[in-house]
Order: sequence, then structure tokens, then C-alpha cells
Amino acid sequence: MKGKGFAVKLINTILPVLLAFSIGGILILVTGENPFEVYGIMFGKSLFTSKGFGNTLHYAAPLILTGLAIAITFKANIFNMGVQGQLMFGGFFAGIAGAYITGMSSLPHQLLCFAVGALCGVAFAMIPALLRAYFKVDEMVVTLTFNYAMIKVLEYLSSGPFREQGSGYVCTPTIQGSAMFTRLGDSRLTGFFFVALALFAVMWIVMKKSSLGYQVTAIGQNPEFAEATGMRVRRKILLLMAISGALAGIAGAGYMMSEEFKYTLTFSGSPGLGWDGMLIALLGRHSPVGILIASIFYSALKTGADNINMYTNVPKEVVAVIQGLMILFLAVRFLDERYDLKSRIRTLRKPAEEDMEK
Amino acid sequence: MRMLNSILYDSVYHSAPILLCVLGGIFAYKANVLNIALEGIMLAGAFVSVLVGYFTGNLLLAYLAAIMVCLLLGLLFSAMSVSLKGNVIVVGLAINMVVPAIAAFIMQYMGVATINVSWLSVADLKWNIPLIQDIPVLGPILSGHPPITYISFLFIAVMSVLMYKTRFGVHARVVGENEDAALSLGLKTNRYKYIAILLGAFCCALAGVNLSLERMGLYTNNMTAGRGFIAIAAIYCGRGDPVSSSLYAIIFGIARALAVNMGLFAGPTAALIDVIPYVVMAVVLTVVSAVKRKNSMTRGF
Repeated sequence: MKGKGFAVKLINTILPVLLAFSIGGILILVTGENPFEVYGIMFGKSLFTSKGFGNTLHYAAPLILTGLAIAITFKANIFNMGVQGQLMFGGFFAGIAGAYITGMSSLPHQLLCFAVGALCGVAFAMIPALLRAYFKVDEMVVTLTFNYAMIKVLEYLSSGPFREQGSGYVCTPTIQGSAMFTRLGDSRLTGFFFVALALFAVMWIVMKKSSLGYQVTAIGQNPEFAEATGMRVRRKILLLMAISGALAGIAGAGYMMSEEFKYTLTFSGSPGLGWDGMLIALLGRHSPVGILIASIFYSALKTGADNINMYTNVPKEVVAVIQGLMILFLAVRFLDERYDLKSRIRTLRKPAEEDMEK
Repeated sequence: MRMLNSILYDSVYHSAPILLCVLGGIFAYKANVLNIALEGIMLAGAFVSVLVGYFTGNLLLAYLAAIMVCLLLGLLFSAMSVSLKGNVIVVGLAINMVVPAIAAFIMQYMGVATINVSWLSVADLKWNIPLIQDIPVLGPILSGHPPITYISFLFIAVMSVLMYKTRFGVHARVVGENEDAALSLGLKTNRYKYIAILLGAFCCALAGVNLSLERMGLYTNNMTAGRGFIAIAAIYCGRGDPVSSSLYAIIFGIARALAVNMGLFAGPTAALIDVIPYVVMAVVLTVVSAVKRKNSMTRGF
């Protein structure tokens, strides 16, 4: 039975991907290139050369973490849409800690930066989590909109108090050498990937083997019942949001220390590593191993996009189109899974009105 | 005084697109479809209007094309989320991602970073209202806006009537409140959801056109800058009521105007003013929710 379910899941996951690539192929045809050739270059360079594969793994590192950050809350039917904001907040202050603290040796400095990033991520995730747990404020709306508030706050911090004065554009000072991850070999791959892998292993155990992982699923299915059987749902919500925020913060910190080295207004790119994490969690069906595979696949798309620009005349934005379409098509199959968002929104809005009737 | 005037004028100016998104979004909210694609649809309106304006040189065509494309996106959103029962949030996110990607793709192909409709003089699009513009203080604030800005404020009344005084409005709300009851009454619930979403798409199209073509005559990618999400916040704060949701939209508009105008003096600190509306939103949502919870007698967690 498990085998059959797996096959259905696999088809449900692969079909949207193929559909998205087909439409992307049509777009490529319009620009007068051969889609097979373009896709060949894209994946050939990003997966089948050692340098390209190293780069792919490098960019997969933060995605693994954001994907897990989203999956752990979504599984409990809590929607932390603020992973992007938490990641930026964590990344920013990890960068500040990396730049202003001097004279530390490498390992403690990096650990400190990770700790700062994780703490910031947790702190920012706690606002919606507390509101949700104690006041039942819809965390989806709060986390979603707070991302934009965070962009503004960081815009202020990076152009005001923490601005690097000598620079021609808005950015923070570059982090110290001791906080930087060094590249291994000729690709961009750094130790951060292995940090991400270690966290992945921890999260795999948490989600698959621990009682917390079981409770997450229980809460996701029926929070009232879970509470009635003695689980402290409120406390679990806080814990899950904290884990999610910490993962996001660590992803931001790692990205800062292995790739960006300073905060600029385009930190984490467009649409952002947190949003990418959403797609990865979807693509990986919220299972840890699925997320690992999905992040590497997604990262291959990203690194492949740069090669498209280099070797063909197709605008590399075609990859962004394909990514968006993938999400679109994955959404439809999503309801086959247990996480029924639609009915959740209904129940979230309903209790008040029902209460009044009683 | 000059400054105050310009803040007030800008408040009207910045409120308009948010207001339109809010007024378009409330029906979907009431019909229980959370439309987070407002942002993407608005961006599509902004992009298509400028693109068509750029190539055809015809203003009317630009408006119509933007509305057409946004309605198509609305249709896509409804088909995926209502008919095919896809996850609304994910469908919305996807549209929010696909639109800027396609816009970037086309602009990259054209080899430009912004599309500038050079034949259009934006000043010509500003309407001065004959009597009102002569009122001493209010005149310069209320007059001299592009047409859609006026429409957006007019729509507050239109949408209130539509929501509370028409059969459509009542039915759409019934669908949202209790879909089974609506079905048992023989209402075609999906049809109401479709119409609600399309109405939202139409308003977002206007918002987008207002933002790009009418105000500046140019398009840069991601120029909507989260306004669609601000609108969602406003809708939630106002619980979908046209007038109170609009009020929140205007608060956001005022904050934006303050931030822009203060920016000239206060420098980077002004960016923080943009944060105020979000804080206000969180506080409002908390208070509303806390009051609700106090009156609630059911066992929860």
C-alpha cells in the first residue's frame, strides 16, 4: 500500500514539473532557440560538471534550511509565511556580528554569527507565534505582511546606523575574514553546506523519529483533539515557530557568511530564499528527504540559469517563470495530501461567529 | 503649510491603489477565498498597460488590455483554486511569482530595465475638477489626480452598495459564511466565488494602471512593492467591511505619504514610518481577536 501511495505522490510531483518545463520550452521557442538544447546546457553545466555541481550544492544549503523551516510548521497546520523576513533579519545581524566583532578565531566567530542569526530568526518568529498562541491572531496574515515591514526596517538599518560609509551604494560593512567560510576546491562550495546537512539530519530525526514529530502531525490534523488528549498545543505552536525561525535565521546567517559577506538591499535575491523554501517544501511534499532532493534540484535550476545567460540568447528569467509555474501546478495536486489549507481558513474564520450563536 | 499640503495630496495619491485592491479583495474575503494574488494581478495590470501603451500609443487600448489580462489571471486563479480545488495560498503565491518573472523575461528580451511611455505626458492625465479645485485649502488636495484615483474613492460607495444592498453581495457573503447552507438554497457557490475573484482582479487592474501608466508613464519590475499584501492586512483589519477596510487602506496611504515626504528631511529614518501601518495592523488584529476570545465560551487551546 505504501508503494502505491508513493507512486501516486511521485507522479503528482513530477507531472507539474514537466508541465512547467513544457510551458517554459514554448517560451524558449518563441525567442528562437531550441528548448532541449537550452535545458541540456542548464542541467549539464549545473549537475554534470564538478564545479557546477559544487555551486549547485552551495546554493542548495540555505534552501534546505528554509524548506525545512516551512515544512515543520506547515505540517502542524501553522503557516509561517515569514521565513523570508526571519531569514533576512537573521542574515543582517549575523553580518553585523561578523563585521563589528574583531579578534576572534574562525570557528567561535562563525558559531557566534550562527547563534546571532538563529536568535534573530526566533525573535522575529515569536511575535506572530505569541499572537497566535495567546490571542488566536491569524499567523498567516501577520507573518506574510511582516516580511514587508522587515524589509523597511533593514532598509533603515543598512542605510542609517550600520551603513558602510565608504561605499557608493547602500550596504553594511564586510564581515571579518574570521567569520567567512572558505571555499573548498574550485567551486563556491563551503563548509556551510555541511552545516546545513548536519541540521538536516537533526531535523530528519525530529520530524520522523521523535515524539515531537508525531505531535506535529497530530496537531496538524486536529488541534482541539490534540489538546484534549493532553498535548500542550499552545506550547507546541511556540516551539515549532521557534524552530522554524531558528532554521530561517541560520539559513540567513550562513548565506551571509558563505556568499554575500555584507548586507545589501538585494540580499537573498528575488524572490528570496524564504519564498524559494516554500516551493521546495511543496515540491518535497514536506518530507525531509524530499526537501533535500528538491533543494538540490531547485538549486540546479538557479545555477543553470546563469549558464543560460552565458551560452544562449534566452533571458535567464525563463527559469523564474518555470519556478512560478511549478508552484502553480503543484498547488492543484496539493489537496491530495492531508494539509487542507482551504478548510483551515474556513475554520479559522468561523469560530468567532459560531461562538456568538452559542 | 506647503509640506502639509503635499502630505495630504500624497495621502490621496498613495491611498488610491491600496484602496482599489482592498475594495476588490473584500468580496473574495467574504466569499471565503483568500486572494493573496492581489499583488501579482496588480503588477500585471501595471505591466500590461505600460507595455501596450508603449507599443500602440493608444491610451484606451492600454487600459483595456490591462483589464483583460488581469481578468484572465483572475480566471486562472479561480479555475485553479475553486474548480480544481487547489490550495488558494499556493496558487496566489504562484501568480505573484509568475507575473514579475514574465515581465522580467519580456523586458530582458526587449533589452530594457524600465519601459518608458515617452509619448505620454502624465500631467495631461490629471483631472482638475472645476468647482472643487477653487476651494482654498482642499482644492489642491482633492483635485488634480488621475481618473482612477477618483474612481477608487468612488468605489467605496459603489462596493458598499454592492455588498449590502444587492442580491449578489448578500449571496456572496452567504457563500462565505456557510457554504453548505448556500448550496442547500440552490446557490451556485462556485459561480459566486468566481465573480468575487474576477471583481477583485478588475479592481487590481485599475490599481496597477493607476500605479504605473497614470502616475508615471513607466514600468519598473516589482513596482507594486507589497501593496497587495498591505491591502490584505487592511481587509483583515476591517473584517471585509467596505468602509472600515477602506479606512485602514487610507491609514496605510497616509503612512506612505508621511514616509515619502519626511524622507526629504529625516533621511533613512523615514523608512521606519512605513513600518507603523504594519504595527497598527498587528495591534488591531490582536485587539479584535482578544475581544472575540473573551466572549468565546468554547474549549480551545
